[in-house]
Formats: sequence, C-alpha cells, structure tokens
Amino acid sequence: MKLSNLAEAIGAKVLTHQQKASKLDIDRVYAGDNISALLNEASETALLVTNLKTSQLLRVAELMDISGICLLNGIVPEPELVTSAREHATVLIVSPVGMFETCGRLYQCLSGKA
Amino acid sequence: MNSDSYSIVGGDFDRAGYASSRLKEQLKKIGVEPALIRRAVIAAYEAETNVVIHARKGNMRVELDTGQIDVEVTDEGPGIPDIELAMKEGFSTAPPAARELGFGAGMGLPNIQMNTDRFEIQSTVGFGTRVAFTVYLRPHEAAGSARNSIRVVFEACRECLSCLRACPTGALRVREGRPIILEHLCIDCPECIEACETGALTVAAPAEMPVPSRETVLVVPPAFLMQFGAGVSPEKVLSALATMGFVNVRVMDEWERALRDAAIGFSREPGRVHPVVSPACPAVVNLIEMRFPSLIPHIAPFLAPTEAAHHELRGCDAVFVAACPAQYTVLTSKQFATNSRVVTPSRLRQELLLAVSKRGASAGELAPPRGPSREDDQRVLRVNGIRHVMSTLEQVEDGVLDDVPVMELFACDQGCFGSPLWTDDAFVTRHRWLRSGGGIATAGNAVRQNTLFRARAGMRLDSDMTKAIVKLSQIDQLTKRLPGKNCGMCGAPTCSAFAEDVVMNRVSITACRHSSGIKGEPHDTE
Repeated sequence: MKLSNLAEAIGAKVLTHQQKASKLDIDRVYAGDNISALLNEASETALLVTNLKTSQLLRVAELMDISGICLLNGIVPEPELVTSAREHATVLIVSPVGMFETCGRLYQCLSGKA
Repeated sequence: MNSDSYSIVGGDFDRAGYASSRLKEQLKKIGVEPALIRRAVIAAYEAETNVVIHARKGNMRVELDTGQIDVEVTDEGPGIPDIELAMKEGFSTAPPAARELGFGAGMGLPNIQMNTDRFEIQSTVGFGTRVAFTVYLRPHEAAGSARNSIRVVFEACRECLSCLRACPTGALRVREGRPIILEHLCIDCPECIEACETGALTVAAPAEMPVPSRETVLVVPPAFLMQFGAGVSPEKVLSALATMGFVNVRVMDEWERALRDAAIGFSREPGRVHPVVSPACPAVVNLIEMRFPSLIPHIAPFLAPTEAAHHELRGCDAVFVAACPAQYTVLTSKQFATNSRVVTPSRLRQELLLAVSKRGASAGELAPPRGPSREDDQRVLRVNGIRHVMSTLEQVEDGVLDDVPVMELFACDQGCFGSPLWTDDAFVTRHRWLRSGGGIATAGNAVRQNTLFRARAGMRLDSDMTKAIVKLSQIDQLTKRLPGKNCGMCGAPTCSAFAEDVVMNRVSITACRHSSGIKGEPHDTE
C-alpha cells in the first residue's frame, strides 16, 4: 500500500516529501521506542512507528535507509527534525493518536480489513 | 587496505552516529552488498552510541580490506565490570537520560555480536573498553562448502587403490589411471596423502620459499620444532630460524592452548550441551558438518587455532607453516584475505638445514612462551585419528558420552604431530615436545566465531527431494545386485559407492569387473 494512502486512511498528516509518499510502497510496520530493535527491524519498505522525536531518530533512518517514519499523538516535531527528514528524503508523518491505536488502524489497512 | 579513524565524543548525542554514517558512505562507494552494509552499520552504530552513552571520549578505527571490514572502537570510560552480564540481552547500565532517547535497552552488545562474523571485547574498569568486530564481504565465497587443498599429481599414480580404502568419507575414486576426489565428500583430512606411497596425492601448496623481512612473523606448529631428532631442542630450531632471517617466531601452541581454555570455559557455562566439541581440527569440523550435522550444536563457537592466529596477525607480514591440507585451506581461504604467506613444512625444513650447514647455529635463548600446566585439562577428552574420531562422534550421537565436558578431536594421530607432511614419527615428536615443556603456552587469544557452523549437503543425491528418494532406492537395488566383494577394481571403494556412482552418472556399470555376473537386468541409469 502506498504510504500516502496509508496516511490518509489512518488520519495522519504528511509533513515531508508528499510526492515520495505517493510512490512509496509499505508492506510492513514496526512500532517501538528502542533504537537497537529499530535497527534490526528497519527496511526500505517498512514504516516505523515511534514515540521518539530526537534528531537521533533521523540518524537511524539515514543509516538504515528507512523511508517512512510515523510520529504519534499529533505532536509538532522540532524544526530540526523536519529539516533533517527533508534532507535525508525521509517521509515524516504524524498520527493524531497514540501508538496502540495507530498500530490498530495500520493493521486494518494493511491486512485489508479496513 | 584502507584505514580511517574517527573520534567519538562522550555525551554528544547530536553527533552520535556520525562515524557510522561515514563508514556506510565508504562501503557504498566500494559497492558492498546492501545486506552486508546493513550488518556492518548496525554493529558500528551500536558500538559508537555505547561510547557516547558511557564514556568520556573514544575512537573508531575502520579498516577495509579486499575481503573484510574490521572495526575497532576503543573508549576512555568506566569499563565493564562483568562482560558476561553486559552481553546478556536486556542488561543495561545506561543513565535515564539516554533511555529517554531510545537507548539503553540492553541490546547494544548482543546486537553487535549478532550482526558480525567476529566479535571481541576487552574492558578494564576505570580505564575503558575495546570492542572489535569483523564483517566478511564475501560470505558466499567464504562459506564455499567444499574447498579442499589436496591435489592430484596424476603421472605419479600407479593405481594401487590404497587411497580408496584410506578415505574415511569415501570421497576417492581411481579412474582413467588417476585418483579423482569427489569434492562434495572430501573433508580435507590427510588420510589419502598418508596412504599414497607414490606422491600422487599431495597438498596444493606453493613451492616458493617466502623471503623474510625484519617485521616478518613466522608461525610454526610445535611439531615443526621437533623434526630434527633428539639432540636438537626447540630452542635450537628457533635459533636456526633466526639465522635464516625469521627473528619473530610464534608457535601455534599459543592458540591451541587458548582454544582449549576457551572451550573448557564454554563447557562450564550453564545450559551448554555436553560434550562441547572444540573446533581444534578443521578437518574434524568438516566431518561433523557433513556426516554428523546433528552434532553441530556441540561445536564450541570459536575459530580453529590456525584461523585465530591468522586473524590476530592480519595486517602483519606473517608466514605460516601449514601442517596439513585443512590448515592450508583455512590459510588461503578468501574469507581471510590478508597479505600472509604460506610455506610447506618440507620446504622450510630443507631451507633450514641448508642455512644451518652454511652458518651453523648455536643454542638460542628464544624460548617458547611457557605457563603453568592446568588441572583443567582433565576435563578434556582427546581423541586422535579419524577412525577413532568417527566412532566417538557416533557415541556422542547415541548420547552415551554426555559425562565428558570437552572433546578435542584430531584427524591425525597425536593431533597435529601426526600429519603426513612431517618427516618424524608423531608419537615420538609429541612426547619430546611435552617433555621439553611445550603445550602450556599462554600468549595467544581465542577468537569467538559468530558465523554459525553449517550442515554440508555432502550426500545430496538431487536438489529435488522426490528425485533424491528415487535415486536412493535405485542405489539400494543396484547395490543388492552387485557382487559385494568391495574389490575396488571399478575405482570406487565399495560396491555401494559404485552403485551411487552409476546412478549419479559418474561411471558406466560396465566398469564393474564382475558385471557379467550382475544379477538381474542391466541397470538403467535414467
């Protein structure tokens, strides 16, 4: 499923790289706040759902070629995070709800039970 | 070789990951496979952030070689009091500030180990920690399952068939006047070389004699030092080597000892399957991977002594004396692309005798490193000789040897003293070596191996299981119709091996001298 469609379906706002989001296929979701685990689970076609919001998150995205990150609870990220997501061609989206509910919505979309 | 160094600043979370991202750029530039970049980068990032979280400052050194990436991360930090505990998943001493940033889940060190082929860690409380790891760039080639270093000199063969009977895995055939090695069955042990009286089977080693420089390190097996009779002590041999220009000599004993200690330590860890098999002999490891795959979990995850020495001396100008084909295979494996050189025992012996006759040699002061003997050795069951090795491995499979903590298995008699590449008797030379105080060296390090030992598809008849089952029953039926004399005249060691060759289209059934007497219809090989 395209990331832009996914974002729309779960009510998330796309902050960076609208264009790329409409081309990016997502086949997996990984949710978590532990960087070591993110490193191992990350891939180009996985969407990362996390409460983390520091610039380290983008470093990990850059190192692991992560193309999509979903922030939570409708937060407004620091401008540095948005800037570095733009630079690293990472699609940043913000879900209006918390991790549990966001994952629930994503699961419904990706398992075709929407 | 390309070498780079990056400094890491403790507590600077904004810059954490900078060195790792430089490493990633470099690997991309030289065209490393993405999956391998990923492993190297995960390990580097974990090591780098560990420095940022725990230490004042540190350094990452990266060495790119044709076949491998070596990364060393050192820091000036608090050190780790209990490395074993630190290696446990979920154990962390990270401060709350780091945890808020998503670090400190206690996965860092295990993550490095999981994503690398070699992993070493040393730490001194109050001073700092050193983490070093290696990722091999050509794992497929490195794992090249059926490499061996036995070569055939076919003019020398007189078809005596001795090698057929000697080969423990039935990998030899004598056809068209010469031995043929079925590489998928060969475990690289020297049994056929030992059996061959005409020199038709030998080690594929270069004939040149490496020229030493002042920096050259020569690594010799202990057996080499004992090849010159009762009157010539190991010290004398070392001194003679020095007159040849080999001033820095290390005895393989160091790494053998280190591996034994590591295997004993491993066997003491809770939950280990006994007996722990020490991977001291690469031919035995090959045998287990092919014939006893169910015993792979018994093998202690360490490098063989030759591999560990080679690993430790990478980057040095090292010359190794290969005691057997299996060691030669290890030393020339693409997995260890370094600038080391290999010499055969006979070549070095020849040069040494020449040097001594020209210049004479005095008894030198160079002594092999010595240490106290260990009571721990009582935990180790030593088994020598491939047939004894096979019968004890069968016992391990049957579960009747679980009272033995550690097993050290060698394809040759008296361990590496029994290779057919030596001129002197195995039992005598090992006796003299032990009497001279050898066997208790301490300087080498064991290196933990993270690449798993893998079962080898030695006997696979067909990649398609259904066809393989059909072939198996064809072999069975044909074997029953053959005379069962195991005469070897067809070039195969046994009638059942011949039946397999026929079914696999390696030979025609007419090669059997008794084929007129074969019961039933001539076999259809299709």
